[in-house]
Amino acid sequence: MLQCIFLLSDSGEVLLEKQLTGHRVDRAICDWFWNQILTQGDSLKLVPVISSPTHYLFQVVREGITFLACTQIEMPPLMAIEFLCRVADVLSNYLDGLNEDLIKDNFVIVYELLDEMIDNGFPLTTEPNILREMIAPPNIVSKVLSVVTGNTSNVSNTLPGATASCVPWRKTDLKHATNEVYVDLVEEMDATINRDGNLVKCEIYGEVQVNSNLSGLPDLTLSFANPSVFNDVRFHPCVRLRPWELNQILSFVPPDGQFKLMSYRVKKLKSTPIYVKPQFTSDSGTCRISVLVGIRNDPGKSIDNITVEFRLPPCVTSSDLSPNYGSVNVLADKTCSWTIGRMPKDKAPSMSGTLVLETGMERLHVFPTFQVAFRIMGVALSGLKIDKLDLKNPLSRPHKGFRALTRGGEFQVRS
Amino acid sequence: MLTQFGATAESLSKASTMMFRIGTDAHLYDDPDDVSIAPLLDSKFESEKCEALKRLLALIAQGFDISNYFPQVVKNVATQSLEVKKLVYLYLLHYAEKRPNEALLSINYFQKDLGDPNPLVRAWALRTMAGIRLHAIASLVLVAVGKCARDPSVYVRKCAAIALPKLHDLRLEEHTAAIEEIFVEDMTMPHELITTEYMKSMIAYRLDYNLAFDNLHIFWRIYLSSSESQHIVGMLLKDNSPGVVGAAASAFASICPNNFSLIGRNYKRLCEILPDVEEWGQIVLIGILLRYAIAKHGLVRESLMLSFEDLEIQSQEKDDPESSHLTCTSPLLWSYNSAVVLAAAGVHWIMAPKEDIRKIVKPLIFLLRSSGSSKYVVLCNIQVFAKAMPSLFSPYYEDFFISSSDSYRTKTLKLEILSTIATKTSISSIFLEFQDHVRDPDRRFAADTVAAIGLCAQKLPDVSNTCLEALLYLALSESSNNAVALMGEEEILLVQVVKSIMAIIKQDPHSHERVIVHLVRSLDSMSAPAARAMVIWMLGEYCNIGVLTSKMIPTIFKYLAHRFHSESVETKLQIVNACVKVLLRAKVEDISELRLAISYVLELAKYDLNYDVRDRARVLKNFLSHCKGFNYLEEADYRTEFNDLTYVFAEYIFGGTKKVPSESFSYRFYLPGSLSQIVLHAAPGYEPLPEPCSFADDETGHSPTNVHNDHESNEIDDSDDISGSLDEENTSDYSSESVSGEGGDSYIASDSGEDEEAGTLIHLSDDAPDSGDHDRVSVKNTSSGLMDAGELMSKRALESWLNENSDSGQNSSNLSQVQRSLARISIKDIGQLVKPKSYTLLDPTNGNGLSVIYRFSSEVSKVSKELACIHVSFSNHSEEPMCNIFLAEEKPNPSPDSSEKSGSPSESVLVSHDKEATLIPMEEIDRLNPGQPADRVLQVRFEHHLLPLKLVLSCDGRKQQVKLRPDIGYFIKPLPMDIESFLKKESQLPGMFENIRRCTFSEHLNQQNDKDEPPQKDIFLMICEKLALKMLSNANLHLVSVDMPVAANLDDLSGISLRLSGEILNNSVPCLVTLTLKGTCAEPLEVSVKINCEETVFGLNLLNRIVNFLAEPPR
Repeated sequence: MLQCIFLLSDSGEVLLEKQLTGHRVDRAICDWFWNQILTQGDSLKLVPVISSPTHYLFQVVREGITFLACTQIEMPPLMAIEFLCRVADVLSNYLDGLNEDLIKDNFVIVYELLDEMIDNGFPLTTEPNILREMIAPPNIVSKVLSVVTGNTSNVSNTLPGATASCVPWRKTDLKHATNEVYVDLVEEMDATINRDGNLVKCEIYGEVQVNSNLSGLPDLTLSFANPSVFNDVRFHPCVRLRPWELNQILSFVPPDGQFKLMSYRVKKLKSTPIYVKPQFTSDSGTCRISVLVGIRNDPGKSIDNITVEFRLPPCVTSSDLSPNYGSVNVLADKTCSWTIGRMPKDKAPSMSGTLVLETGMERLHVFPTFQVAFRIMGVALSGLKIDKLDLKNPLSRPHKGFRALTRGGEFQVRS
Repeated sequence: MLTQFGATAESLSKASTMMFRIGTDAHLYDDPDDVSIAPLLDSKFESEKCEALKRLLALIAQGFDISNYFPQVVKNVATQSLEVKKLVYLYLLHYAEKRPNEALLSINYFQKDLGDPNPLVRAWALRTMAGIRLHAIASLVLVAVGKCARDPSVYVRKCAAIALPKLHDLRLEEHTAAIEEIFVEDMTMPHELITTEYMKSMIAYRLDYNLAFDNLHIFWRIYLSSSESQHIVGMLLKDNSPGVVGAAASAFASICPNNFSLIGRNYKRLCEILPDVEEWGQIVLIGILLRYAIAKHGLVRESLMLSFEDLEIQSQEKDDPESSHLTCTSPLLWSYNSAVVLAAAGVHWIMAPKEDIRKIVKPLIFLLRSSGSSKYVVLCNIQVFAKAMPSLFSPYYEDFFISSSDSYRTKTLKLEILSTIATKTSISSIFLEFQDHVRDPDRRFAADTVAAIGLCAQKLPDVSNTCLEALLYLALSESSNNAVALMGEEEILLVQVVKSIMAIIKQDPHSHERVIVHLVRSLDSMSAPAARAMVIWMLGEYCNIGVLTSKMIPTIFKYLAHRFHSESVETKLQIVNACVKVLLRAKVEDISELRLAISYVLELAKYDLNYDVRDRARVLKNFLSHCKGFNYLEEADYRTEFNDLTYVFAEYIFGGTKKVPSESFSYRFYLPGSLSQIVLHAAPGYEPLPEPCSFADDETGHSPTNVHNDHESNEIDDSDDISGSLDEENTSDYSSESVSGEGGDSYIASDSGEDEEAGTLIHLSDDAPDSGDHDRVSVKNTSSGLMDAGELMSKRALESWLNENSDSGQNSSNLSQVQRSLARISIKDIGQLVKPKSYTLLDPTNGNGLSVIYRFSSEVSKVSKELACIHVSFSNHSEEPMCNIFLAEEKPNPSPDSSEKSGSPSESVLVSHDKEATLIPMEEIDRLNPGQPADRVLQVRFEHHLLPLKLVLSCDGRKQQVKLRPDIGYFIKPLPMDIESFLKKESQLPGMFENIRRCTFSEHLNQQNDKDEPPQKDIFLMICEKLALKMLSNANLHLVSVDMPVAANLDDLSGISLRLSGEILNNSVPCLVTLTLKGTCAEPLEVSVKINCEETVFGLNLLNRIVNFLAEPPR
């Protein structure tokens, strides 16, 4: 079981420590850890399980904050990592983001949350809805109150009823003025296009996000028109597995508010909505680059938020890039990002420029990979269609809404 | 209120630039101690207390020690405000252990809170009370936990379940302290030992020997609380609420993970409730159910795990309980929690029949889409799965394609998996990917890709040509790139390319001559020394495989000779080596051409700046001078014997086509999903799966019989007559072997005929020791299971195995050594091998230079059978001689007794007191010169097995008190018996006369490390010998038999068992010791020691002693 959790800032400062068991862990472990990070560099930074001389360390890095947990005995490593991720999720949800200042400013809440989320190294209450009832998130009202009166308590005086019910993710007696439930399909397209321009891999990772504001104890059934497209699925604990096994129907009592009902994957898609064609031609110490972006397969809706990012190879000393649409930004670590925004109707965006190579180098022999991001509103590229959403015990007819969205996920184009 | 306002105003000014920080606790974190905290804590306003506590919390967060506020904080525990309470609890949990006395002040309030109507208050009070770790209130907490476990609120019951491990943890500490108090010798007792038997014996202890009541009290308390907490766990496991069951599962896992009967009662229900348990509980519960299912039912016959094991652990046909476990875990493969999915996948991996394992693949791969951290862990697990069963993942190769956003470690893991699962059909698309990666800006990754290409090519010979083409192209283009002047990272790639090419060529050098030629031709443009060295190695190695190369050789050597001075050391060494190889293989007619270049190279090397190169050149030159036709071409036919010899040596060193032992994948991996598997060593607390079918439930005691049923047919022809005759055969084999090996071993010769039979240490029997009567004990079960498995191997195989063993010289000597040690025991003589441990009676620093050492001897006193013989060695380390050294009992007024040995007046003070030890004193040493040693024999009757005996040592008239510690191992004497009577006797002493303890034995590890290359097969013998020696050196026992499993893996020592017998000195009650091993050679062995003895207390003490000395490191 976990013995201690440390929160570290991106400069290695220990923001706070929470001892979980009687076996105290000295802070020195953080120094050791940070020294390792400094000496071994990036390769260690991303290793989630490290065995130090005294403890096993698990680390999860979120937005510059390192969540470091220690243990000395055998435990499922994924349990620790998953828990740290959950802590990070809850914190960023509570604090509206994560950074050093936010944690310092709200350290009392962080402590209270950690104390509630884990007891003696074993996760206790991790359901965000219940946590919200037990420990009130900071908000404008409480901030103002605290300035005026000097103090407000954010600790609830009563135990949330949900801890006792058989649906621990839901408040027992909810009343909403408006009865509404929204279902969003949020999909991310992972695609890899190899150097020959062929589509190596194209798949959709999607989530069904539900925002439910329903009174009472609603029992929902969601069915899809084409459930056969799913390759893999994972469900929120509220989903009853038996109906899914039998008829591929999602039957559940939703938590209140926003939650992820399921995630799925659809593999082996045939084409991508946009294409990115990079081209390099080297000649005696300089290299001409040109990148073309265009619509390959019109999804029917406009494509926006397009950005193309890539990192210049280390052997490039200087670059001069100019787009015919959007703007290009080259950062100090040689990352270039070309922000296109909405795809123009009339022309295909392109970027061209020259790269100057290191002296002595004739031509470029390593080529960067282009990361492409985009967003298409109103379309689920996997082709998944929601058939219907039924409410079993309606107090009143709820308002139902459906939306879809596709983003670029790990969309990469090799050159 | 004023201070409050001031603080706020101040923080306002500070945070004016950052508006969003207003109203948060930012100022408290930034300047926690800018106001004095103490008065705030004593304030009567809750808000001020709250602020003070927040400041304290900020100080804790920043790592300051603020335990000095403890008394003031503790007072506030009485508050009504929940927020203040929470903050106080946070503080208390952090510091209570440091300030136990003040923390006790809070107990009353906890007690009061436990009766609060608000469940949240009750839960918090319980959590804090259990968490503050005060030994003094452990029993109170236990009562509180018991009470809360019956609380109406689910949340409180859940907290009660989580509080149990805290209590357990605390108790473990107390426990060890208590044990140390009682036993003089250091020992750590595993927790599960607190059994009823143990308590029983402890009571006996008290009654007989008047041990301090306190200690017993502690034991009782520990025992009771332990059983009480197990009872609570059992109760909570039966809880209706899934949330409680999850927490109870985690308590079970940390308190009593092996108490399977607790699970057995609820197994069905736990399986049903599993999908509803909250996610974290699921992870633990899955593991518990898995262990239980294995221990109870064994593995399914078709499962993957079984096919790995050579020994067939019998298992039942797939029946209800197991499949119910599988069906209840399979929906968990859809869980949102990656850890749950992995745990469920692990269960399927271990339990499911092979065709069902496919189910886990997709969920596992889907996990890769979750966070980067878990991706790494999942990939590590997939890697192990894929290595064991590549076909499982081979259709999904696309999912392991590398994305540029992966971390370096993830990329390498994916590459490894890809090269494992590549098949003929998928290899082409995998190659396309690899080709892209080769041009990745991260050159380290590109080099790893090249290595993966090499691996694939070796695995799939069909594609090796294509690979080779691609690699060659890469090498050529890279080397031309290199020529431009790229250093550092670029080199890695080129070196790796050449390395991969080398590996592929090795498989079939003859068909790849062209590649070598290409490489050699591009030698000029290669600048990386390692790559050059490898190309030159290939040149030397394959210099005569084809016409082309042999034609090129002279030219190349001219080139090399020309470039020699500018090469790096690595390359120079390879050039010199290549010279010899070429010469050795060249045809006579080519030699003249080569000779000039080569002798020039060697000449250069001889005067090189580097030592190594010079030395190598000298050695090789010497070689060559004797070789055919190098220096003396005309005398080519003239060969002396010596020349021949060097030639043979040279051939051996350079010409050998060594077969690289193919690396076989070890199937001994850690449990999937465990920490140990990621860090690749057994983390503390790691427990492998229990032995299949080792747990027999009382209600359904059918598993042991099942084990035997399947073997019934085999057992028939395995009856005693065959094994008996085999035994005899073996016996004679051994003695003849050792006689021939040792040249008439005197020990054997002096052996009496009757000892001969018992004298074989290695009594190999094919069948299980007739364990039908008493296989209620799990250990017995497993050992017999292993033995049964042994039957699958034919007798012939066993014989050949044995013969092989005695073939090599070392082994035979080993064998005879083992035998010798036993032969000696049977003639009751202490030899060099059996060295009883010696203890210091008197240190020279304390005794004015006199040092006294004693050791227990295995001799039996001639005077009375109750006396133990002790060898005492005196030696004088001082400058002056000493006089009148004498050891006597402490009692000042001895009543003289009619002793048989009342010789001289000074020596015969034989004390016979009923309650005291009797001592037959030694002869007085009149004079001991400096440096002179003197040995005496002392015969002592110890009244108590454990308590030391106080003696007075007089020397030069001065008296000094010394303590003689008893060694229970010598309160027995060997009782020779054969295996049949041993087993018979053993079966007569079941139940309360039988005690088992486990310990680890690691002495063999050092031994293995010492020898640089231990031949695989004698490890068994070596370990048996070690163990036997250890036993015989520490206890006066007779070695009855040593049984070895035959079919097990070479590495697997499980099933070796040693039987020893002895009888207690003063009442001749027989005492049987059985040692059973478990584990592999490379790790510390788990030894379970069993004692059957009517004298339970004596038996227990002896058991503890044996466990102690087995576990102690070698001297």
